[in-house]
Amino acid sequence: MKKKVLAALLATSMVAASLVGCGNSGNEAGGASSADNSTAADTTTDNTAAADNTAADNSAATDTAAADTSADNSAASSDDPVANLIAATTDTVKLTVWASEEDQALTTQLLEDFKAAYPDVTFDITLGSESESTAKDTILADVEAAADVFSFADDQINELVQAGALQPVAATYTLDVANENVAGSVEAATVNGTLYAYPMTADNGYFMFYDASVFSDEDVKSLDKMVEVAEAAGKKIAMDVSNGWYIYAFFQGAGYELTMNEDGSNNCTWNAAGATDVAQAIMDLYGTNVLVDMSDEEMATAIAEGTIAAAVNGTWRAETASDAWGENYSATKLPTFNVAGKDCQMSSYSGYKLVGVNPYSANIGWSMLLAEFLTGETAQTARFEARGLGPSNVAAASSDAVQADPAIAALAAQAAYATPQRVGGNFWAPAETLGQILADGSAGSDLQSVLDTAVEGIMAPIE
Amino acid sequence: MKKTVGFVVRHLVLTFLVIIWLVPILWLVVTSFSGYKGINTAHFFPETWSLDNYKVLFLQPDSVVQYGAWFKNTLLIAIFTCIVSTAFVLMVSYAMSCLRFKGRKGLMSFGIVLNMFPGVLSMIAVYFVMKSLGLTNSHLGMIIVYSAGSGLGYLITKGFMDTISTSLREAAWLEGASEATIFFKIIIPLSQPIIVYTIINSFLVPWGDFVLAKLMLNSGIATDWTIAIGLFNMLGKSLINKYFSIFCAGGVIVSIPISALFVLMQKFYVEGVTGGSVKG
Repeated sequence: MKKKVLAALLATSMVAASLVGCGNSGNEAGGASSADNSTAADTTTDNTAAADNTAADNSAATDTAAADTSADNSAASSDDPVANLIAATTDTVKLTVWASEEDQALTTQLLEDFKAAYPDVTFDITLGSESESTAKDTILADVEAAADVFSFADDQINELVQAGALQPVAATYTLDVANENVAGSVEAATVNGTLYAYPMTADNGYFMFYDASVFSDEDVKSLDKMVEVAEAAGKKIAMDVSNGWYIYAFFQGAGYELTMNEDGSNNCTWNAAGATDVAQAIMDLYGTNVLVDMSDEEMATAIAEGTIAAAVNGTWRAETASDAWGENYSATKLPTFNVAGKDCQMSSYSGYKLVGVNPYSANIGWSMLLAEFLTGETAQTARFEARGLGPSNVAAASSDAVQADPAIAALAAQAAYATPQRVGGNFWAPAETLGQILADGSAGSDLQSVLDTAVEGIMAPIE
Repeated sequence: MKKTVGFVVRHLVLTFLVIIWLVPILWLVVTSFSGYKGINTAHFFPETWSLDNYKVLFLQPDSVVQYGAWFKNTLLIAIFTCIVSTAFVLMVSYAMSCLRFKGRKGLMSFGIVLNMFPGVLSMIAVYFVMKSLGLTNSHLGMIIVYSAGSGLGYLITKGFMDTISTSLREAAWLEGASEATIFFKIIIPLSQPIIVYTIINSFLVPWGDFVLAKLMLNSGIATDWTIAIGLFNMLGKSLINKYFSIFCAGGVIVSIPISALFVLMQKFYVEGVTGGSVKG
């Protein structure tokens, strides 16, 4: 009898457990399938709710740390916050760091240097790999499980901040983050007036690569001229216009605006009076079949094969281009293009890679110190030397070696016309369609209605 | 004459289908032997051939490619999951097929209904349960998750056991055999083909799984990953141009253990099926 009761109890508890499991997951998945945006919103609210506490906790923690520091200062008569941090550390400092795969060797070296710089402290630092372009997805899956210090691309900062996944850079130890980095990168690391991350590189934007044996310095100033020259040489020019990131260059360059509202929706004037001229200009350029619409991967093949002699792309393609074109490999700012008889300078998105600190970290102080170390002048110079990445640090960027790099110099020249990427998620799909329609010439004659449709999609409210 | 025309048409259609099915696989294989690193879609057959991609996989692991470690992880997880979940399935099937107890029918239907929920639905819940137990980023945790619910997939095995004559069991029972003896001495030897089927199935789940592995192994430490995560990682925006051919080589290698398992087991499978049908 006893046995039976026990069995029944066990069975019931098992069933109950499985039912509970199903219930929960059902809700989750229901939310997920309803709409991407709404889940994003859901998780954000959830997370912020959850994060509020911790954020508060952490700031409290930082406050007390600061208070401790001052107290310690008076006691130990030391003005050095680092010394106080070391003094306050008794156990092994366990940290996890995420850097992109290409950065592993360099980061391993930097971490050794970091350990060597603080010989009195025992570190246990684990280095994981996570690409900057996908960092947000992995981190937001579970912020608590994410690394203490991680790198990410600056367009992800809004969502990371909303999810409470970034520790504000309220105090610094060794590095004056706001003043030692170029203004654009600091702006990119700031949300609503608060600095949330440490700028690491300033080279995630795009510009024009070209083969100097085909184009002269003069030619590359105007896109229309480039098309003429390329046609004569039997070569092509590539630009991925069916991608919102690149088509922005035309409309922004001609003075039409795209901005993001607080709620994550967009504000867009790409259908204002005269914008059809921009659309017409794009259609005319692509209609020549000399300027071609190519994805990044296709471009890599085409550059290597020698069918294209110029391409709009970023530093990640520098190696491919310099391998293919040898000493003729050159880069410059984006050219101008002709809108109804007027030359407009193409704009672009500037891009930065940033290092963030996880507010859930058990060692916030050391994480912040490590983030400073990984983005300081020495580290940025090392990163340029090892990987050719453009430094955001003012001193590192002004070195002769950096200035001599064609791709970095082109980015610097383009910087005057570039804007940081602040755009809501609803922008990408309509912009891609718009680019495709304009590039393959299927837009027809009623450009205004094409633009209206695109803008309607871009400005669609966030549900 | 008519016969030949029919024959030719049939074989043309079949050849066409074979081409459609084999072209992607052929492309994967030839690309894995190509001399260049990234994607090159300009030619179907690469212009330069080399074995470098395979060499990198096994002999020159770098920060991106840790194929040896991934292979070992995946193989361990798959083997243990295979053992545990095969045992679960066999036990549940035996209980459902050969034992009679109150609520058997209800329990069976409940199990089937529960098993019909896609596992993906409970994934987030499973993740948080495992996290609270400290079993994320652990291969033990992966094995537990993969094998825990496998007993619910008893239906086919149970159906097979139903075909084994009850008089065999009754005879054993009368001779004084316990349930365990009946299970091991009578049911298991007679269920060989279905055991093979269960083994292959339960090996394939962890071997090819991506979603759960990606969710559970989130520390970012490459040596802890399984093959699926590692290969996916090579397709990242910044890596694909250096690692695409290596990815293809990895894809070719991944299919070897599965094929080997199948070829090995197939012999028993066919033997079992024919043997079973004669006895039946």
